[in-house]
Amino acid sequence: MCNKTKQYNGVIEVDKLNVLVCDDDIAIVDALEIYLKQENYGVVKAYTGIQALQALSEQKIHLVLLDIMMPELDGLLTTIKIREEINVPIIILSARSEDTDKITGLNFGADDYVTKPFNPLELMARVKSQMRRYTALGGLATDSRVLKTGSLELDPEAKELRVDGEDIKLTATEFGIMLFLMKNMGHVFSTGQIYEHVWNEPSYSAENTVPVHIRRIREKIEINPREPKYLKVVWGIGYKIEKY
Amino acid sequence: MDTKLRSIKYSTGAKVAAFLIVWLCVMSAVGSAVFLLYHHETINCKSYFDTYKFKNEFSTLVSNAVEYNVKLKSEANIRSSGDAEDVIKSNLQRYSLIKNKLSGSVNFAYCLKNTSTGEIVSNIKAENAPALIQKQPSVVYYDQWAYNSNHPFGTGITQMLADTPYQIYAAVIEPLKPGDVFYDDFMSYFEIKSLANNITILLIASIILTVLAFTYLIIFTGRREPGGEINLSFIDRLYTDVYSTLVFFAAIISIAVVAHISYSSPGQVETIVIALIFGIDVLIGLSYVLSMIRQIKCGQIFRNTLIYKIFELCFNGKTFKAWTLLLLSGYGLVNGILFAITAASGDGGFFIFVFLVIPFNVAAIYFTAKALLSLSQIMEAAKEISAGNLEYALDNSKISVAFSAFAKDIQSIQGGLKKAVAEAIKGERMKTDLIANVSHDLKTPLTSVINYVDLLKQEDLNNEKAGQYIGILEEKSARLKQLIEDLIEASKASSGNLNVSTEKVDLHELVMQACGEYEEKINKAELDVHIAADEEVSITADGIHMWRIVENLLSNVVKYSLPHTRVYINVAKSESYGLLIVKNISATPLDLRPEQLTERFVRGDESRTTEGSGLGLSIAQSLTNIQGGRFKIEIDGDLFKVTVEIPLWEEI
Repeated sequence: MCNKTKQYNGVIEVDKLNVLVCDDDIAIVDALEIYLKQENYGVVKAYTGIQALQALSEQKIHLVLLDIMMPELDGLLTTIKIREEINVPIIILSARSEDTDKITGLNFGADDYVTKPFNPLELMARVKSQMRRYTALGGLATDSRVLKTGSLELDPEAKELRVDGEDIKLTATEFGIMLFLMKNMGHVFSTGQIYEHVWNEPSYSAENTVPVHIRRIREKIEINPREPKYLKVVWGIGYKIEKY
Repeated sequence: MDTKLRSIKYSTGAKVAAFLIVWLCVMSAVGSAVFLLYHHETINCKSYFDTYKFKNEFSTLVSNAVEYNVKLKSEANIRSSGDAEDVIKSNLQRYSLIKNKLSGSVNFAYCLKNTSTGEIVSNIKAENAPALIQKQPSVVYYDQWAYNSNHPFGTGITQMLADTPYQIYAAVIEPLKPGDVFYDDFMSYFEIKSLANNITILLIASIILTVLAFTYLIIFTGRREPGGEINLSFIDRLYTDVYSTLVFFAAIISIAVVAHISYSSPGQVETIVIALIFGIDVLIGLSYVLSMIRQIKCGQIFRNTLIYKIFELCFNGKTFKAWTLLLLSGYGLVNGILFAITAASGDGGFFIFVFLVIPFNVAAIYFTAKALLSLSQIMEAAKEISAGNLEYALDNSKISVAFSAFAKDIQSIQGGLKKAVAEAIKGERMKTDLIANVSHDLKTPLTSVINYVDLLKQEDLNNEKAGQYIGILEEKSARLKQLIEDLIEASKASSGNLNVSTEKVDLHELVMQACGEYEEKINKAELDVHIAADEEVSITADGIHMWRIVENLLSNVVKYSLPHTRVYINVAKSESYGLLIVKNISATPLDLRPEQLTERFVRGDESRTTEGSGLGLSIAQSLTNIQGGRFKIEIDGDLFKVTVEIPLWEEI
């Protein structure tokens, strides 16, 4: 399983966005190469942290996919070293699924954390999301009326919701809920409170109307609805929009 | 034969016999030795005439004969001497005394010759008296110049003969005739001489026997079998120092008694008494020596002393040292003496009171208070340690000696606890690491499997069967992924390797949120969920763990419920618990015990065809337990009922 090659390989293509894939498992690196090429990205492959750093110093890389448990230099230390140099997006791929591992990885400077075994489609969605943010070069000059968190934007006037610049189609109720939550970003609201504000009538027995709507919104705006980035469930208390 | 001999050697009878032999032999040896010592002069002499007794007796008689014939001469001579009255009287007395003595000594012969007159005086009538006398081996000769150092009174005789013309020959005429002291002494001399050989043999035999029997006793005393344990007799229970003192006093007393008796001339009765006392002393001494030997064999000769026991009691106490009691009584004693002095010394009492009694008591109170202060330090340490502060340092140097052992015990308890905690933490960490490593090793290859199955699916295989197979592979790898995740979660939950951060959680809200998440699946399973809730049920729980519990229950409901049935979810509260009750109708008969369902990998359907790991209920139960709740499953026919109880939120 451990790779013997001393050198990273893959040559960048000037007209393409390049992704550095670094994992000591060759099979995973090869599979990711296929997926990334399907999405029309250039791929540079590395098998240790050292090789990854070497590749980064020699090539123009737009995104890094990095494993944690690797020989020579592990993913976390590699992340720190990369962050000392450049601001390229880093997505950590790891079999370590503890919350503490995720928090550590993100604190060390990673932009996203995906646990193995991952869904390839989900990973590609996350790569695209990070890539869009990175290449947007500061993004559009946003209207002050537009509500924004991370790459989630809500325009109350145009009744539009965008994630990574892509329009999301919402129903009127869903948009109402999003508007209410985005206006009070970071605050947690119970099912009853959301119902009363959005439906404008007291909630005697709201049952699971609000939760069902929220789940549907999450399915539309989140890459992995079970691990939402923006619309978060605070279990037993309510819901909130995460403020970035 | 051999074993018989051996058993005899260890038997009590043999030991008693040996003991008696030693006793008797010591007695006889000492008796013989005393006899031989007493008569050693007699025994050492070659003949009767060499004995001191003879020489003494003989010399006295020679002296008497000279005095009688040279000095006193006759009664008339004494009277006419012109001496004082009392001198004459005493000389007369002496004259008759010597006369009697000389006439009673039938074997004594002397021949006194006046060299100037040629007159010869002798006490024997024989004609050839001088020749007869000179022929005897015991003959002695004196004149005014003769010097005979062999004879006790030789110089006295020479002095008496000084400036006189007399010369004397004296001897004991052999063969001796009965009737005087020489004959009696001569007879007893021969008796002693003939006895002496036998008694010497007796002495040697007694010593040899004593040594043999005593050696036997030294080796075998206390032993009942070869190499067996040392059996101590009742006498050995006496503290050795007490025993030694008693024996010492017995010896002193008997020496005093014997000395007292033998001071006056020892007769028949006294000799028997002395022998008796000696016999008892030997008995005591022998049993004392054997007892000491047994104690040495046991290695307890020093431990079995009263001094040792007192020392041990005072200084080896574990928690409380008895010497503090000694100190207390010492304090009382000193105080008593000081008060007695104060009372006795009248006018000076006031000064003694001020300069001795008060300082002494103040010092005593100071040291007691200091000791008690260190007790309070120990108590403080114990309190800290019991509260969980294992790093609390108890300063040993400030602890009074009275409680230092106690302080050390507390410290060793602390050390033990620290070690146990460290070990528990290490064990927990190892467990967590193991879970993390196993999960990593399982997940990494699974990642490839899932990825390549997905890539294969994208390939245009132009083969219907291949597509079908890939579908199965995809399904099963997804199942494997779920299984691994559940397995890790179950092991973490049941080993307590999960963080629980409790907060106020609205159970009704949580159930609604969960049902919102499961709405689609519930609809797909064609179930009708009814939620009935009390006004507000706030529980103390970790929201994420609670969600996992409810999710697992709902997942269970969706998987195993009979389609087109109703599912009832009740949220209520008891006195101190928030209740979540989920009731559904099972699609398949449930013929297992409720507890079996929470065992890992037990699933309602024995065929195990449906998706799921069989860990759902087990995880739910573990998660309930780590939040301090209770998890109960009831089965009534096809009715499946789960009750989760979580402690209610308490406003502080």
